[in-house]
Amino acid sequence: MNFLILFAGKIISKTSKILNLGHGSTWPGHIALKLNPNFVNQILKKSKTKIILVTGTNGKTTTTKLLQTILEENNKKVFLNSSGANLLNGIASSIIITSNLNGNLNFDYAVFEVDENTLPQITEKLDPDFIVALNLFRDQLDRYGEINTVAKKWENAYQKLGDTKFILNADDPQIAYLGDNLDRQTYYFGLNDPKFEYKLQQHAADSILCPKCGNKLNYEAFYFSHLGRWKCDNCKLKRPNPTLESFKYYPLLGSYAIYDTLAAILVAQKLGLTNEQIEKSLKTFKPAFGRQEIMEIENKKVQLFLSKNPTSFNESLRTININNAKNLLIVLNDRIPDGTDVSWIWDIDFETLVTQNTKLYLAGDRVYDLALRLKYSGFETPNENIFENLNDAIHAGLKEIKPSEIFYILPTYSAMLETRKILTGKKIL
Amino acid sequence: MKQTLIIGWLYPTLMNIYGDRGNVISLSKRCQWRNIKTETIMLDLGFSEDDLKKCDIILMGGAQDKQQETVAKDLFEKSRALQSIIEEDIPGLYICGAYQFLGKYYKEANGNIIKGLGIFDLYTENPGEKEKRLIGNAVFENSNFGRIIGFENHGGRTYLGKNILPFGKVIKGFGNNGTDYTEGANYKNSFGTYLHGPILPKNPLLADYLITKALEIKYKTKIILKKLDDSLEQKARLAIAKRLSVGI
Repeated sequence: MNFLILFAGKIISKTSKILNLGHGSTWPGHIALKLNPNFVNQILKKSKTKIILVTGTNGKTTTTKLLQTILEENNKKVFLNSSGANLLNGIASSIIITSNLNGNLNFDYAVFEVDENTLPQITEKLDPDFIVALNLFRDQLDRYGEINTVAKKWENAYQKLGDTKFILNADDPQIAYLGDNLDRQTYYFGLNDPKFEYKLQQHAADSILCPKCGNKLNYEAFYFSHLGRWKCDNCKLKRPNPTLESFKYYPLLGSYAIYDTLAAILVAQKLGLTNEQIEKSLKTFKPAFGRQEIMEIENKKVQLFLSKNPTSFNESLRTININNAKNLLIVLNDRIPDGTDVSWIWDIDFETLVTQNTKLYLAGDRVYDLALRLKYSGFETPNENIFENLNDAIHAGLKEIKPSEIFYILPTYSAMLETRKILTGKKIL
Repeated sequence: MKQTLIIGWLYPTLMNIYGDRGNVISLSKRCQWRNIKTETIMLDLGFSEDDLKKCDIILMGGAQDKQQETVAKDLFEKSRALQSIIEEDIPGLYICGAYQFLGKYYKEANGNIIKGLGIFDLYTENPGEKEKRLIGNAVFENSNFGRIIGFENHGGRTYLGKNILPFGKVIKGFGNNGTDYTEGANYKNSFGTYLHGPILPKNPLLADYLITKALEIKYKTKIILKKLDDSLEQKARLAIAKRLSVGI
């Protein structure tokens, strides 16, 4: 059965790549799972590949890429579902493309990024060696419901797992609390750096009630959104002491990316790599699609900061401010991968995070909502900088920047794919 | 003397799930552009009734269930004060969870009944996970403000009693319950609605109505607000109306 699935799947995958249909990455997996719902489970069981799942609202792709880099640079073979198709279909497709026809995977590690809401479904199909839980933010509420509900589902799923080790973010109360009830090996990462502290909570914060007793949490410091050094004065629940709080070298900017880096490093440490090996490999790191990725076009530099919810948007704005951005394009789409509800843009702190030195270009399906948000933040965008066509927006910005400058683009998910397509001249996925 | 409005924002850190602070921003900016001073009072957990009584406009947004439980405990203690403000015609806008909360009760999917404040003659029932959440861009029609545009996302179905009027008639979307074409509720100068988006920035007529009423009640005189350039607001409205194939 699996032989036939693999055979047919490989043909479908190749064909759609050749024809540039763009759906090559999830189609074969979709069909495989229809024919054999246990397909993924069976193939992974056959191999001795260690499975690492990376989940959370923000930073999955970056953490996965970091871990891949560390492992591969240390001569391990790593199997990924890297195209952003982060569902079971995507994993099944990756298996089809990568395994031989007998269903043997010749890999030391499988690193899968798993959507926060589909994690319980995934863990029913496979028993991971590690689960890395990064954070839980409000993201695409129209699809996923509320974060408390998501956390509850995770908790139930985790209880059913076998000998899985957990790598958890100590600074996210909801995530840290997951470790409280787990009778498993649990390791925490967290930040301890005054450089990233905010005394006041940013607006877009979500999880400020104690996950155990519902009392309002007390924060000594915030690092980003609701992540920080927290404790509950009522039930005495508090941030667990992290195993890992800092590292010598970070390949990416911004506190959010540092969390991702710490998570990846902690896994690598638990897999037996030394800090020297990890540091050396991180120096070769190149960002994932759209995540602080730098692209060159017409001899000019463009840097993409995927920004898909208020938290990641705020952090992106903060990071480009450090770089003194002169020209910034924001692209807001409201397609299924972006979330069809754009009200979250009112939770972005444009008021304090955009400066008058930055020239703004706006585009996307909901460009007028974006322009309205900025108008009410005190930034009137001239009509000629509001673009219904993304291609025009990109070229207007490119024309404006000097060769020494960077044109910054903050797109939502589908807008990021569209932007890359324009910049590279071809469709990805 | 410069006119001043005090905006009371109920539970800003707990009831703020769908960008509802955009409503506060909209009111403040539209006042500021007209040289009307505003002050926003954050009425968070444990707020004092005296602070509530100072307010000229009340805003309250939606929340996640857990937050809502915590808020319920706190607000029940002050429900009389809120009720008298509403009875005294103080304008207010109550979105989604806040709107449900003003009604008589909310029946959860598991049959559990959460008591509401009982200020609005309505009740809400959640039919459970088998029934779809009511999600999407929505348009409804109100005789004063024309077409109101926003986004709705709710599991609960709200049914109005005899002593309350709907806020409007559903043109696109689901409204209160997806069956009777009513959307929201209007009692005196208080409005309950499922629409966020947030609702005020893209519906400036409604924002200006709340401001006008608040000023008229505070200064006991007829108010005609200075016109603002709303062409961008209009473009944002048109873009959605066009997509939904409705006129505005």
